[in-house]
Amino acid sequence: MPAKTEALIESLSAQVPKVAPGAVARRVALGLSLGALGSAAVMLAWLGPRPDLAEALVTPMFWMKLAYAAATGLIAAVLLARLARPAARLGVAAAFLAAPFVLVSAMAMLRLAQAPPQAQHGLLMGHTSMVCPWRILAIGLPVLAGAVWAVRGLAPTRLLTAGLAAGACAGGLGAAIYAFACDETSAPFLAIWYTLGIAVLAAAGALAGPRLLRWR
Amino acid sequence: MLAGLAGEAGPYRRLLDELSGRLRAYYGRRCPPGVDAEDLVQETLIAVHTRRATYDPGQPFTAWAYAIARYKLIDALRRGRAHLRAPAEQADALFSPTGSPGTAQAAMAARDLDRVMAALPPRTQALIRDVKIAGLSTREAAAKHAMSETAVKVAIHRGLKALGQAHGGSDAGQD
Repeated sequence: MPAKTEALIESLSAQVPKVAPGAVARRVALGLSLGALGSAAVMLAWLGPRPDLAEALVTPMFWMKLAYAAATGLIAAVLLARLARPAARLGVAAAFLAAPFVLVSAMAMLRLAQAPPQAQHGLLMGHTSMVCPWRILAIGLPVLAGAVWAVRGLAPTRLLTAGLAAGACAGGLGAAIYAFACDETSAPFLAIWYTLGIAVLAAAGALAGPRLLRWR
Repeated sequence: MLAGLAGEAGPYRRLLDELSGRLRAYYGRRCPPGVDAEDLVQETLIAVHTRRATYDPGQPFTAWAYAIARYKLIDALRRGRAHLRAPAEQADALFSPTGSPGTAQAAMAARDLDRVMAALPPRTQALIRDVKIAGLSTREAAAKHAMSETAVKVAIHRGLKALGQAHGGSDAGQD
């Protein structure tokens, strides 16, 4: 063995501080929490909570929006924590990412099928469809930044996939925070425009992943 | 590796020893021309050490270590790795005593040292001076600069490597 490598091993193993189990999950959780705080600040400063939030809290639609977005974000967070390790195996967890969307789509189709034809356009488009995905993008960016910080400090080896998971996570959590400001009330709106916002962030994460997540 | 995570130095050292042998074989077969396989071995050992928290005890250690080795190989290919061509040993030669203290030769060496070190970040310069020249231990340097010992070791290793690249032998700087 070259002397230099032997010296390196000597110095690396001279002091081996203990590593607490769960360090990966803690770092990812910390990054996402800090990001979500930033996102909430953006939402409050920019849009503010919807004025009728108190009444909305007792409607099922508010909780459905929140559940859809948060479930997508949290499932993506689990994938992200796996992808932060070398030789990550996603397994069936990757398929779960689509589960909230499948559920919401089914509810949206049911709602559309029951609605009179003249009401369908309103259900699909709401009154904020043109701004909704962009607002989710803007509100989700701090979460993406937190996710990138957390994962860079670990050891991702599939950078594009990890970037995609980081973006989907930021999209889901960003949309969940946006749900406090958004007064749309239809499942079809949720299925299309919330999903589009999440997808935009996921795509941004996948594009930026190989660059931003590279570590040495 | 479990011993390494638990902070046991002896078994951890044997693990790194064995791993370095396997890495040398791995990079020996795959290393592209112009890249020093031993540098990749060292980089991977550092990554295995500094990122050991990402090892999941439920997974095979070899799969985890080889995923890092593969990542480092791809990283090297992607960047062309011109700066890996000059081994860090040559930079180390800069710090070997070239004359007895007080001679003009020593003064010149000190001046050369200032000049070549100027390219490094100030903290790395200070660390190399403290550890390689003043003879502080890694632990003392870590305390002095409020860094972890691992961060000190990695900073010094990278600093020496950067010097090796800039001021190495005659084969450096041609690409």
